[in-house]
Amino acid sequence: MRATIAQYYPGTSPIHRLDPRAKFVAVTAMAVALFLRDSFAGLAVFAAAAALAYGLSRVPIAWFWRAFRPLLWLVGLTFLAQLLFAPGDAFFSLGFLHLSWRGIELAAYLSLRLVVLVLIGSVLTLTTPPMALTDGLVWLGRPLRRLRVPTDELALIVTIALRFIPTLLAEFDTIMRAQRARGVDFHRGGLRQRVRNLQPVLVPLFVVSFRRADDLALAMEARCYRPGIARTRLHPLRAGWADVALLATTTVVIAAGLLL
Amino acid sequence: MSAQGPAPRQGSTTVGASLACRRVSFSYSEGGASVPALRDVSFSVPAGDAMALIGASGSGKSTLLQVIRGLDEPEAGAVVLDGVEPGAAGYAERQREVGLVFQTPEVQLFAATAREDVAFGPRRLGWSEPDVADAVARAFELVGLPQAVYADRHPYSLSGGEARRLALAGALAMRPRLVLLDEPFVSLDPGSRRDLVAILERLRADGITLLLVTHDVDLAWRLCEQRLVLAEGRVAAAGLWDFAGDDARLLAANRLREPFLVELWRRLAYAPGQAPRTLEEAAKALA
Repeated sequence: MRATIAQYYPGTSPIHRLDPRAKFVAVTAMAVALFLRDSFAGLAVFAAAAALAYGLSRVPIAWFWRAFRPLLWLVGLTFLAQLLFAPGDAFFSLGFLHLSWRGIELAAYLSLRLVVLVLIGSVLTLTTPPMALTDGLVWLGRPLRRLRVPTDELALIVTIALRFIPTLLAEFDTIMRAQRARGVDFHRGGLRQRVRNLQPVLVPLFVVSFRRADDLALAMEARCYRPGIARTRLHPLRAGWADVALLATTTVVIAAGLLL
Repeated sequence: MSAQGPAPRQGSTTVGASLACRRVSFSYSEGGASVPALRDVSFSVPAGDAMALIGASGSGKSTLLQVIRGLDEPEAGAVVLDGVEPGAAGYAERQREVGLVFQTPEVQLFAATAREDVAFGPRRLGWSEPDVADAVARAFELVGLPQAVYADRHPYSLSGGEARRLALAGALAMRPRLVLLDEPFVSLDPGSRRDLVAILERLRADGITLLLVTHDVDLAWRLCEQRLVLAEGRVAAAGLWDFAGDDARLLAANRLREPFLVELWRRLAYAPGQAPRTLEEAAKALA
């Protein structure tokens, strides 16, 4: 049981070494640009850029596939929906279903966009440790502090949550096994029985989590954590020429993608 | 639960089941790669015996317990329970007669009262209510928690040692014939440890087969006549303790030490007639 979508693949590729802020801005800008214009030539530019980024990241294709596979049905479903329900002059009709060239075109656009979107999103999460990404988002969210949004505290919450996802999954697995050893069969019975079977897992999981949260809060206080006080970072973010190059390339790619 | 399952075995003494592992192998998959945890593990425990399962952290001890209980399928090899091969008739039943007590089992407690929690396993087995009540009463008695005092208490209101005993009662209420314990002494105070040792001695006296994972070699030696040393998923030694032979080297190689008494005897290294008989003599001999 693992969250594949936000998994980090450790490495030292040029993409890994980029500043998380630059990567986040580039990916966000490209994700928005992807949806601005219907053009195969434009989409081809975005796809090529995404493929290039993926190649440079030196992440094994199996890792991308693992992130992509769960989304395959979504891509397939949207393709079908666009194909069958899009407006246009039908050249084939069956009941309320109409096939049109326009529909095929729209379906192809949307599927391509989703694939490119997942690809660039994966490059971002696979090459950026979650903590670095959080740090980057905090920096980007700085202007919000003027509006009294507690960005640092929010970031800490996200960081702690990310840190404890694997721990909780391991805990969940252990408790499931323990209750299986006591005779619970999680795969048998009707819906009611299955939901009831979760009680012996969820109650201990919550209790353990609350205890852990208590301990963590005490440990943080013991190390002088106080909310609202500016903290320094062990690894301050440093942008370099590579990041400027990334943003410049992204600008060129987006311009090309929108003009072609 | 109204469904009537098979009645639990009758009689106050439960006879233990024998256990044999034949070339058992198991790997975890981690990030696409497969990490071997058990390799060709073979050993056997006669019915009613106790075996201590020792080895450094990460040597595969907990994994072996899970495989024996059937929570993980071995990739190769077989776990033979009470002489019954996997796949043969009655194997699933034999598996249900294996009690597994996890590390810090008190985290599995979930019911509103101690009694309900202990009754959970027997009810899953489909026993009739009188049988369940019987099994629960016996389990409370076995772990030394008087029902009158504890049955209606909330599991989370118990002390650490009491909660651990309650969790153990939950496993014992299912009348296991083989009990697997994963580091049951961890984070218990000395009093609770003593209580737990007494409970395990009682299980032994009842004839239940035990497989006990522990880093505490003193207790392992005291409770078990046999030991199984695992090193990186392989059996380094299985069978009776052998302090005159290779055990000292074996234990040291696996980040363990000899039982304190054995070490003491070694340090006294006495010749016949010169053994210290008083504390003063011992102090002189050890100086």
